[in-house]
Amino acid sequence: MKTQPEILMVDDNPADIDLTSEVLAQSKAHFHVSAVNDGVEAISFLRRKGKYAQAPVPDLVVLDLNLPHIDGCEVLSSIKSDPALARIPVVIFTTSQADSDISRSYKLGANCYLRKPGNLPEFVAVVQSMAEFWLGFASLPQKEKR
Amino acid sequence: MQTSSGLSAVPGIASAGAPKGASRGLPEEANEGTKRLRALMVEDEPADVELVLRALQKAGFETTEDIAQTGEEFTDLVRKNLYDVILADYKLPNWNGMESVAVLRQEGLDIPVILVSGALGEQTAVECIKQGAADYVLKDHLARLPESVRRAMRERKLREDHRQAQEELARSNRDLEQFAYVASHDLQEPLRMVATYTQLLAERYQGKLDSDADKYIHYAVDGALRMQKLVQDLLAFSRVGRQGLALESTDSNAVLQVALQNLEAAIQESGAIVEHAQLPAVVADSSQLVQVFQNLIGNAIKFCGSEPPLIEVAVLEKGKEWIFSVADNGIGIAAEQVENVFVLFRRLHTRAEYSGNGIGLSICKKIIEQHGGRIWVESEPDHGSIFYFTIPIKAIPKQ
Repeated sequence: MKTQPEILMVDDNPADIDLTSEVLAQSKAHFHVSAVNDGVEAISFLRRKGKYAQAPVPDLVVLDLNLPHIDGCEVLSSIKSDPALARIPVVIFTTSQADSDISRSYKLGANCYLRKPGNLPEFVAVVQSMAEFWLGFASLPQKEKR
Repeated sequence: MQTSSGLSAVPGIASAGAPKGASRGLPEEANEGTKRLRALMVEDEPADVELVLRALQKAGFETTEDIAQTGEEFTDLVRKNLYDVILADYKLPNWNGMESVAVLRQEGLDIPVILVSGALGEQTAVECIKQGAADYVLKDHLARLPESVRRAMRERKLREDHRQAQEELARSNRDLEQFAYVASHDLQEPLRMVATYTQLLAERYQGKLDSDADKYIHYAVDGALRMQKLVQDLLAFSRVGRQGLALESTDSNAVLQVALQNLEAAIQESGAIVEHAQLPAVVADSSQLVQVFQNLIGNAIKFCGSEPPLIEVAVLEKGKEWIFSVADNGIGIAAEQVENVFVLFRRLHTRAEYSGNGIGLSICKKIIEQHGGRIWVESEPDHGSIFYFTIPIKAIPKQ
């Protein structure tokens, strides 16, 4: 019954999307990664609006904070205040180390806050363990349950 | 309030004076011949006002004066106008001239107060000067007044220049810190791209191109990682200045223990022995003090000679400060380099010899100076170094 886990990555830096996708592609589990570049797109994707009508429902959202148009915190609070989406784990994945960003994210219901590491070995380790944990070990509510 | 006692035909500067608030700067020096002087006189005796003005005029001052007889008038006038000097009688019916010093202090104004008075007695005169009067001139020695005014104005100009220089320095320091912070913060993001992707290149294509390519990729990775470390260090350095001090009563024994715990791996590896005396409680930012001990002891371990490091932490109470010392048996520092060790990013050795960016001692210096102390080193090549730093002895704040 288990289908390929769906990951939605929201990041305006194509280099980070590529690198994350690369790392996930190399892991044993086969993830499917979709990526959007700003907050407005992210909301459309999640609500299956417009060109995203056929978009998959993600099992994990990997969200950068610093985004054009609508920033990551707004996307986060839209997800967590929408009963249809709130169950999806959201991992904040950003360069910010500011205490204010960390505490604000958790207040808004982020499931986890990770800083993007500055070198490859750490980056690989963080992305791999993130996917493994949230899509492997963690027990999460079922999709249709309300 | 302005009194026209029939003596001051010259209009007071309340109407003609420079607008207040624009700048409390000093009036410009007039030509050599006559010198304009804006005086506020605290005086109830019209005849004395006249005598004072005459004495000043004789010496080439062209004086515009206002007259205050009460504290309220005085306060009102100094708020509205700019004065070069206050000429105050000591005894007035309702207040005494020295109170004007207190008013000026309260208003944050630096205007010299010269007491112009009948005999006060030496005791009172000395007391007035102590409280902040610039000078004291007897009414029957008014010939002395012009020189006293000139000197008071010169001194005020010096104070003003000094204050401006200080402000300028503080501002440029703040700007620099802000710059360091922004630069290091914003540099991290593109650097992360360079570092991770050159590493990815290395991982993917190592051995698949030619040996030159391998070497070039290695240089690029190494450079990016080193720059990352530099930027992080710069950020750490600028953070010391921006975060301010959380001063509290701090047991420096506990601080030392934390530093030693943080250094445990290095201590084990080098076989270092750290001895320390009983250390005092000081008023300090404990996490910053940990950094100081950690950097100094860490250096002592790093720059050891052929012997295992032997490090001794001691303290001496001298005058109003504690002098801490961290002594080692390491390679020491050449005399001509002793000043350089505290300079930001200054390294005395090649990377092959000793790792590091040369940030540690700069951070120590900044921390100690923020605490109002000093840091220095005594050393002889091959005979170890002793780093000293002072922490002022202060009353322990109540919990």
